[in-house]
Amino acid sequence: MKPIPRMASLLRISLAVLAAAWLVSPAARAQLQIQITSGVTNPVPIAIVPFAEGPTAGTDVADVVQHDLVGSGRFTALARDRMPATPTDAADVKFADWKAAGSDYVVVGRVTPVENAQLAVDFNLLNALTGQSIARQRFTGTASALRNAAHRVSDVIYQAITGIRGAFATRIAYVAVAGEGGEQRFQLVIADADGYNQHLILESRFPIMSPAWSPDGQWIAYVSFENHLSAIYVQRVLTGQRTRVSMRAGINGAPAWSPDGRRLAITLSGDSGHPQIYLLDLSTQHLTRITDAPAINTEATWSPDGQSIYFTSDRAGEPQIYKIATTPGGVPQRITFTDEYNAGPHLSPDGKLLAMTTRDDGGNYRIAVQNLTTGEFRVLTHGRLDESPSFAPNGATIMYAARPGQGEAGILATISVDGLTGLSLKPTQGEVRDPAWGPFIQ
Amino acid sequence: MPEPARDRWLSIGMSVLLHGSLIALLAFGWWHFRRPAPPQTQPIDATVVDARTLKGIGTASRQSLKPKPEPPTPPPVQEGPPPPTPEEVAMREQAAKEEAQHEAEAQQQLLARQQAKAQAQAQAEAEAKAQAQAQAQAQAQAAAKAKKLAQEKKLAETRKQAAAKKLAEEKLAQERKLAEQKRLAEQQAEQERQARIAELQQSLQEDQRAAVASGALASWTSEITSRIQNAWIKPPTAQPGIECVLNVSLVPGGSVTGVSIGQCNGDDAVRQSIQTAVYNASPLPAPPNGVPFPHQLIITFKPTH
Repeated sequence: MKPIPRMASLLRISLAVLAAAWLVSPAARAQLQIQITSGVTNPVPIAIVPFAEGPTAGTDVADVVQHDLVGSGRFTALARDRMPATPTDAADVKFADWKAAGSDYVVVGRVTPVENAQLAVDFNLLNALTGQSIARQRFTGTASALRNAAHRVSDVIYQAITGIRGAFATRIAYVAVAGEGGEQRFQLVIADADGYNQHLILESRFPIMSPAWSPDGQWIAYVSFENHLSAIYVQRVLTGQRTRVSMRAGINGAPAWSPDGRRLAITLSGDSGHPQIYLLDLSTQHLTRITDAPAINTEATWSPDGQSIYFTSDRAGEPQIYKIATTPGGVPQRITFTDEYNAGPHLSPDGKLLAMTTRDDGGNYRIAVQNLTTGEFRVLTHGRLDESPSFAPNGATIMYAARPGQGEAGILATISVDGLTGLSLKPTQGEVRDPAWGPFIQ
Repeated sequence: MPEPARDRWLSIGMSVLLHGSLIALLAFGWWHFRRPAPPQTQPIDATVVDARTLKGIGTASRQSLKPKPEPPTPPPVQEGPPPPTPEEVAMREQAAKEEAQHEAEAQQQLLARQQAKAQAQAQAEAEAKAQAQAQAQAQAQAAAKAKKLAQEKKLAETRKQAAAKKLAEEKLAQERKLAEQKRLAEQQAEQERQARIAELQQSLQEDQRAAVASGALASWTSEITSRIQNAWIKPPTAQPGIECVLNVSLVPGGSVTGVSIGQCNGDDAVRQSIQTAVYNASPLPAPPNGVPFPHQLIITFKPTH
């Protein structure tokens, strides 16, 4: 062996010897250190054991919870026929069996009648590997609110395991189109986030478009073409009481609530024919013009701080997303550059992600997300005509309208922001479009 | 104060008298204490000679070096007196008287001469004796000296020889020492060479062993790491900046029997996920051959993305 290579390898050797010594020394053996820097994004295996239910229940709480969790893309549920047992109390859970069945977590619970004809939903989330109870809670309500209670259970489980607030017990608004031809009826529908529990809040022979939730979830703004003229309305969800806030000449469209709920960003074309974005103060009816480019400027979405809006403009030829300050005289800044067509922006609740409809080279319209910090642009969906993205209030999921095939009715679907899990909502009769995901229910 | 002239003359006279007596004393002393010069020793050339021959030569040379003292010259002897006349008788008588007196004087002189002669003889004898004694002494001294010299020479020779011998011995010793040193150095060099070879071989073995061990360690660590990473369903809240330390208890065979969370800035979801991951990774792969299973593992969860 030549001296120089030997010298060169001396450090390595001594390190290796040290490592070996360290390996065999008892103190070191007790202190062997390992660093984990990455993990997997696999769904978490969970078993949601059917709840013990009284005769009046009528709703399979465990099934609702399972549907929620699996639909989020972050969980995989153990099929009921593979469950080793059906305990409804933590004391009856034999953890080894559930661990052997491949479940990291087990949810047990019961629905029991309580006073005033109400039902109580008790559940317990258990870690099958540590045997610890992670979360246990009771929700009470009427039988009709049982699904909502189930969604609340889902929210708790989701947050306990993912660290993110669950958005299952939230609502969506969308437009449904029923009937054919001259018999077409346009409906404004409110439903649970899973598509169930639908409530019609408006029905019209004229098109209804662009529903938008107020930040407090009490109001919905929308565009209605009643009498063939577009107008913007603000309607109280609970009572159906509504107010027309804009019916100016030309287009009145694309309302978006400011984060403080006091203003609407709307699109008005006036007589010029060039739609521009204005801010409408709801209490004073005062209008402030934000854009002025001789092009289409529409579909505003607010930044969480209310200081700026993102909107679609074709000022460069094809539609792209721009950002502009909500104070007059702001200079628009182009945000999207990836594809030739980017429209219908919707900002995530934290303001970090911008969802939009993008048109790929094959002419497909798909939902894409651009990271506003890194600029990373990801197409999430794989449909032919996916549009109108709307973030869940926890930012984890995007709901959008999809038209699976030519001539087929539009449906609603969700996609996780990582693009890994997609889900179609409960099928509805007719066509659905323009989903708007409501805020957390206070 | 002017000295009177009479006193001056007195002083001069006294001074002359004093100096004269001093000179007389010195002269008398010189005559009285005058002695023949003591035999002078001459330096000897330090030629190396045989000590045995040295004695005779030494004596002869010593004798030749010192002349024999002259015998004392006798006083001149008086011749017989002339015949007397009438007048001469008177005169003779006178003369006889005178002669008698003369004879007496002569006798006395003879006696004196005899005495002087005897004295001179005695003196000569004494002197001879003294001379002999001195000679003997000188000889003895010379002999002693020679002996001493010889001894010294011998000693010196011995010393010289001893020195030479010593020198030779020293030289030899030095040579031996040098040879020994050389041998030792060579031996040491050889030992060092052998040691180096051994070290190299050992290092090679250690290298191989360490490589095997570190490879095994790396492999084992990587096995554990990959097993846990594959088991860790990372919640969205496990972002960079999160760091959680788990103390994992193991039993032989690698089964996880306990997981306790130490320092951790993650939320409940992160805590749940990492505990679950470690349990799901159980049993952990066995360590390399010969290494007992650790009772505890410190596992740090530190997501980088």
